[in-house]
Parts: sequence; structure tokens; C-alpha cells
Amino acid sequence: MIAAAKRSFAPLAEYDAVLSWVALLLLSIGLVMVYSASIATAEASKFTHQATYYLTRQTIFIAVGFTVGMIAFQMPVRGWQKLAPWLFLAGVALLTLVLIPGIGKVVYGSRRWLSLLVFNLQPSELMKLFAVLYAADYTVRKSSVGHLLTKAFLPMAIVMGVVGALLLLEPDMGAFVVIFAIAFCIMWLGGFKLKVFAGLMIILPLGFAALILSSEYRMKRVTGFMDPWSDPYGKGYQLSHALIAFGRGEWTGVGLGGSVEKLFYLPEAHTDFLMAVIGEELGFIGVFVVMALITWFVARAYMIGRQAAFVERPFAALVAQGIAVWIGIQSMINIGVNMGVLPTKGLTLPFLSFGGSGIVVNCVAVAILLRIDYENRRLLRGLPA
Amino acid sequence: MSYAGTLRRRPPEPMKLPPWRARLLFLLLLAGMGGLVVRSAYLQGFHDTFLQSKGNARYSRDIEISAHRGMITDRFGEPLAVSTPVESIWANPEDVEATAQQLDKLAKVLHLGKDELASKLANRDKGFVYLKRQLPPDEAEKAVRLKIPGVALHREYRRFYPGAEVTAHLLGFTGVDDNGQEGLELLLQDQLAGMAGSERIIKDARGHVVEDVANVRPPKPGTDVALSLDSKLQYLAFREIRLAVESHHAKAGSIVVLDAKNGEVLALANWPSYNPNNRERPAMQTMRNHAVTDLFEPGSTMKPFTAAAALEAGKVRPDTLINTENGAYVVGGHKIRDTHSASSMTVSEIIQKSSNVGATKLALSLPPEVFWHNLSEAGFGALTGSNFPGEAYGRLRDFKRWVPIDQATMSYGNGISVNLLQLARAYTVFANDGELQPVTLTRRDVPMVGKKVFSERTAREVRAMLELVVQPGGTAPQAQINGYRVAGKTGTAHKLDGGHYVNKYIASFVGMAPASNPRLIVAVMVDEPAGAQYYGGQVAAPVFSNVMGSALRMMNIPNDAPLGNVLMPPAGEVIGEEV
Repeated sequence: MIAAAKRSFAPLAEYDAVLSWVALLLLSIGLVMVYSASIATAEASKFTHQATYYLTRQTIFIAVGFTVGMIAFQMPVRGWQKLAPWLFLAGVALLTLVLIPGIGKVVYGSRRWLSLLVFNLQPSELMKLFAVLYAADYTVRKSSVGHLLTKAFLPMAIVMGVVGALLLLEPDMGAFVVIFAIAFCIMWLGGFKLKVFAGLMIILPLGFAALILSSEYRMKRVTGFMDPWSDPYGKGYQLSHALIAFGRGEWTGVGLGGSVEKLFYLPEAHTDFLMAVIGEELGFIGVFVVMALITWFVARAYMIGRQAAFVERPFAALVAQGIAVWIGIQSMINIGVNMGVLPTKGLTLPFLSFGGSGIVVNCVAVAILLRIDYENRRLLRGLPA
Repeated sequence: MSYAGTLRRRPPEPMKLPPWRARLLFLLLLAGMGGLVVRSAYLQGFHDTFLQSKGNARYSRDIEISAHRGMITDRFGEPLAVSTPVESIWANPEDVEATAQQLDKLAKVLHLGKDELASKLANRDKGFVYLKRQLPPDEAEKAVRLKIPGVALHREYRRFYPGAEVTAHLLGFTGVDDNGQEGLELLLQDQLAGMAGSERIIKDARGHVVEDVANVRPPKPGTDVALSLDSKLQYLAFREIRLAVESHHAKAGSIVVLDAKNGEVLALANWPSYNPNNRERPAMQTMRNHAVTDLFEPGSTMKPFTAAAALEAGKVRPDTLINTENGAYVVGGHKIRDTHSASSMTVSEIIQKSSNVGATKLALSLPPEVFWHNLSEAGFGALTGSNFPGEAYGRLRDFKRWVPIDQATMSYGNGISVNLLQLARAYTVFANDGELQPVTLTRRDVPMVGKKVFSERTAREVRAMLELVVQPGGTAPQAQINGYRVAGKTGTAHKLDGGHYVNKYIASFVGMAPASNPRLIVAVMVDEPAGAQYYGGQVAAPVFSNVMGSALRMMNIPNDAPLGNVLMPPAGEVIGEEV
């Protein structure tokens, strides 16, 4: 009794300090690099006109992200599970809304943003988290029929088809790939039938190939990445500048603030191509540190997931691992695009790139991971989740 | 599924998550990350040279840094042409982003019309347009302070000539690109011009210069060149020739001062002249360096060469009497006249009184080939070797096509043409005991070897005759100088106009001093003196006397005559040569 009483008075700060610090470090590096990458653009633009334009906003996003994260942390994992289908539905509704002309805001030919007076909401960013929650809940619900193609795979395939179609209409190829990858990996982790995965491994690449070939816009992006030097001022413009940025950085970088590529050569230096600026200013060392931190984050999230599985909380386990997969894959695609090994997509670097929706959603993802870990720790001590 | 299971409402079986699947997925993620790290290392550590060269091709540009042009100095290092830094304002029209208000200000600062500025900036396909060249640094500063993107400075150099009109013809000038266009600036271009350096700059995608990279080839400044000129003498010569031209209402005048020993040009001036520091293009006729680029018939200043040729050939001695035919002599149907008719004169007297008949007789005593050879050897009909741009070739026709009248007129300087520098140079044979010196415009530190044209004896005999010219009884008593012996010859020639001699004259005087051992030669030429006086002895000789006298004293050359040696003829007696 005495021991139990002691436990109940144990400090509340039962959270994963390492995960928090890694996330915080990534956010900080991102903040500094967003500032560095955006100074010139911000100063020159007639709309922004001050060097700290993006810095101020990214700081606000992070602050909002912290606040929303704190609130999200209060929600028990069980609550997330209950909310999962509704959140997913809300996400689909937003994705639909964004496509309506006059409501959705078009930037660079993509209709991705909802203008909400104070900030622009990007539903596809929210959808990534909602997809993790939904896929985890779905997989847990269908665990008993996981062997059946029609009952387990088909409904998910239809849902994903709808979401995918909405994303491609924006178009947001990057979010499409990430959300598909999340769903696919969560079902894989959830123990769905092997044979089906083998089949999907054949069908999915074919599907992708068909998708790419069907649109000239996507086709251009793909061929541009194959050989950026064949048309360095046209199709390969963005990528060739990203590659030059890496080349200029060498091992140790040209120094913080010293990037030339960010001076209007590299489009979207503070968002999609932030990694190229990191590569130029901080060199291979900077790139390696960022990638190591991301990998560390992914590994930590994965471990939290395995712990949840150990204490027999499959939903929490799948959510944690789903978040790991999400952050890991999105980072890899973004970095791969920056380094010219993947075709150009509009994908940001989690935690680092400029963008309100992305930063807030990433913070909520961290909050959920911390909550799962918090509940794991309580369960391991024999306390109720 | 067991039968019992369907009966009992069994709590949901805890779901099993296969650990191997999680491990496999994690390994794949790790492998992906690892692959990207390798890719990063490849791009940044091994492929970087290629990528950087691609980058440089896009945003670095080599900008020329103008080299400092060498200074032109006189023989003592006094600057005659110096380059001063100025700023030019240029723009990349494509990058210029300015409000109308800013453009107005810019136009104002650059003293350009608004339309002019707008038309310069309208050249959108050009990446480089000069808005205004060669502004003083403080004015350029004002333009830059407007901070208009795409407008920048370029350091250039502008030539400044402290001597202005005094040295204008000799030095010439440079163009706006700092290349020699005329005169010595053109002749010495290779030495004066440096090698432009280059600076690598990095531009952002909008064309603004971001930084100067260390990768700079420094400009190599040009070398300074010391001329043979003595700037004090140059000022003196210029002042005197200007005065003479103005007081005699002449069209133009030239003066050359040579070092008699080594042919260095110590002064060379013309009037009218122009100020090369003015930006406006001067009037064409003021730009001619008459002394070098214009030919004239030397007239009687040729006679000493005729006498020397006859002496050298052994036909006569200075005191040989020549029948001067009472002042009229017909050669090939042409009558040759003397003003001061005499039945006979010695060779010395022929020079002293400048007798045309006497000179004709002396010339005709020689075969054409010999006469021609002597003149040719003395540098007539050739360039002086000064290499001055635009120097006029003297005209000396081939003796094979001479008829006797040609040889006769040539003996007193008609039918042959020279430039003043050439004439001055020819006189080095008399100053130097028969050796002809090459002329040079740059300082000569090593004495040059002259060319023997006449024997020492001939040269000295002619020099003695030339001393008589300035004595009372000669044509140029006004050429005398207090304290120095002077030897020289006057010339007064009709000008040719459309192939006929007209009543316009060229008055000249070429002389040397101290006559005992000549150090300087001064040649003066006045074109079309329009006043009452037009004889060389009246117009040119005083200029000679003033310049030579001052020069001798300035150079501390020891006197070779007692002070007060000047003997003027009775007032009113003017011995003018036949023209």
C-alpha cells in the first residue's frame, strides 16, 4: 500500500525526454535555416518586405504547435482511437473543400491551401496524421479478418483511392505518396496477409508508373530528375540548383548565411529545398547531423511503438510506428528530391521546412508519441493508462 | 475457431504484431537513410568540383578591373600625362528596379535627361549599359547612394594633362576606353597601357552583386615613360611661338628644340593648339601637330646643304668666288633672281646673303646623283625616325627624273618638302661635325651613334658661314644672343596654292648655339605671317633668339662669346633673301 501510494505521488513528468529533445533540436535547426534561407526572398518581395518575415511566422507556428501539442497530450490514446474515423472524415471533407475554386488557394499551380484569415491551412498536412490514426484504428479493427482480401484490404483500398484522387486533383503528389506509404506500412505492421502484400508490390509500382505517364506535369518532373543537366534552365532548373548547393557546401559548408543558391536561384529554398541550403551552408556535416537526428527520432518513435506492442496496446503501437514511418518516409523523399535521386515533389522536410500546417501537425504527432510513451510507462508500473 | 469460442463472448484476443515485420521495415528505413547519407557524401565530397563549376557558370562573372595607365613625364620626371581614378556608372537594365521618383533623382545626379536615361535603360537585352562615364568619385557616390538595384560603379581612369595646350600636340590624347588615340599616347600605347585585371563577382539571380570572390587577377599597371622633353623649355618654346603667331597675325607656327648632340627632342610646340582636358572635341585645325605632320617647302634653309655638297665634292672652298650674274640667271627658260644683286660672291657670302643664283650655281656644279645623294643622306625625303604617328614623309624626288631647273630650285629649297622636325634634324650634321643624329621623343640615356654625312671640315666650314648669317650684313641679325655665338639660316618661301606660288609666305629660321660647340638646335616656322614683316629673319629669327637664349641660360651652358657681343645693323637695313 505504501508503495502504491508513493507511486501515485510520483512526478507527472513521465515522458520521453530524448524524443522531446530531438524534436526540439530539429525545430530549432529548422527555424535558423528557414530564417537563413528566406532572408533574401523576404527582403526582396513586395509582399513580405522584411527580412524576418518568415522567421517571425515560423516562430509563431512553433509556438502554436507547442500549445496545440500540450492540449493534444492531454488526450488519452483511447480518445484518439475513438476520434480516428471522424478525424479522417473531417480530413476528407477539408480535402474536398480545398478543391472548390474560390475557397482553395492556388499557389504555383496547386490548389492546396484553405485561407483562414490569420493563416493558410494545408489539409493534406493534417491528412497525414489523420491517415496514421485511421489506418491504425482500421488495422486494429480488422485484425480478426486480416487474412481476407475482400474484408480487410478492399475497404481500405477504396478509402485510399478516394483520398488519393482528392490529393491528385490539387495536385499534391507528395502527400499522396506519403499517405499511401503510411497506410501500406501500418497494414504491413498490423500483420495483414503476406500474399496480398506480394501482390501489392507488383500492382502498386505499375499503378504509379501509369499515374506518372498519365500527366505531362508529373512526367516533366520525373524526366527532369533523371538528367537535370540536359535542360538545366528548363525542366532541370530547380534540381540543378539544389545539386549545385550541395556541391558548394562540400564537407563543412560555406558557413551559415553564406548560401548563394538561396539568393533567388533555388526556388522554395525555405520550404521544399531547405535541405539544399543546409547542405550549402553547413556542408555534409550539417546534412549528416540533420539526418541523424531524424533517424534518431524515427528510431525512438519506433521503440515507443514496440513498447506499446509489448504492453499489448496494438492501436498505440501502430500509431507510434505509423508516425515513425510517416516522418521517416517524408524526410527521405524530401531529401532524396533535394539530392536528385527522386523526382521533384512538393514535400516539406518535417520539423524543419517553413509551413504552419506542417509544423503544427508535426508537433501534435510528437505529443501523441509522448502520450503513448507516458501511458506505456504507467502501464509498466501497473498504473492505469 | 472452436465451437466453444462462438458460444462464449470471449474478450477480444489481443492482437499480435509480428516483430519481424517491424524490424524489416525499420531496416529498410535505415537503409534508405544510409543511402541518402552516401549520396550526400558523394555530392559534397566527390562530385563537388563539377557542381561548383556549374554554379560558377551561372552566377559568377568576371569583371574587368581597369589597369592604371602609365604616366608620361618629361626628362626630369615632371608629369605631363597622368591618369586619375574616376567612376563610371553602369546598369544592367534587366535588373533595374526603381520607382519613377528614383529614376528622376538618378537622372538629376547624372546630369542626364529623363528621356535619355529611360532610353538607355530600355536596352533590356543588353546586360551592361554605361549610364554615365567618368564621373568624379563624389558625384558617382551620389548616384550609388540612391541604392537602385542593377545600378553599379565601375572604376576607370581618366587622363589628365597638366600642360594642356602646351603639350597637346605632342602627347595626343586617349579615348574614353583609355587607349591612345593620337600622338605619343598612341605611339607609346604598348608601354603605357597596363594589363586589365579581373575580379570574380557572384551575382544573385536578380543580377545584384553579392560578393567579390578572392579569385582576382590584379591589374598590371602600365609603365611610366620619360620623354626627352624638358617641360620648362617646352613652356618657353610654346609661349614664344604663340606670341610670334599672334603678333604677326600668322595662320600657324611651330617650333622644335633638339639636343644637337644626340637628337633628343627637348621641346616641340605649335600654335594654334587645344586643351586636351576639355571634354569637347576640339576644332580639327587646332589638332594638327604641324611640326611633324605637315610638309612645307623649306626655302633658303636648304642652302647650307647645297653649299656643303659643293664643299664636300671639292668643287669650291668657302672663299671661292662664284659668278652671281648680277642677280639674274636663266636655267632651262626660268629666270632665277636675287634681291641684293652682285656680280660675284664667295660661297660664304652666298649663304650669308642667301643668294639664289649662287646656290643654283653651286648645285649645278654637281652631278644630279651626287647632289641627291647628299640631300638624301642628310635625311631629306625620309622619316625622322621619331615614329610619331602621322609623321609626313619628306618629299625628295628621284634625281633620274630631274631636269636642270629642278636641281636649281632645290638648291634654294623649292620643289622639295620637309616637316619642321626633319629640317631641325638635318641641321645636326652641321652641329655635330658632319654626323646626322636620329631624333627621339623619349629620353635617351645612352648616346646614339650618328651617321657621317659630311666631313668634319665641311661641317665646320658651313657652321662658320652660318655664323655670318646672324652678323650685320647677314639675313638674320635678330637671331643673335647675348654671350653666345649663333649659327643659323633663314628661310622665306612662297606658299604653293594649287600648283602655283602665291604671295603667302612661310618664314623660318633654323639655328644652333653655342656655335663653337653647338648644344641645341632650334627650328622655327611661321605659316603665313600677315603683317608687314614676313622674312624669316624678321619673323622667325627673334623667336629663335628668345628661345635659344633662355634655353642656354636655363641649361647653364657656358658662354662662348663675351657679353655685349650683339651687333645690330643700322636701323632700317633689312637683308631679305630672295623668295
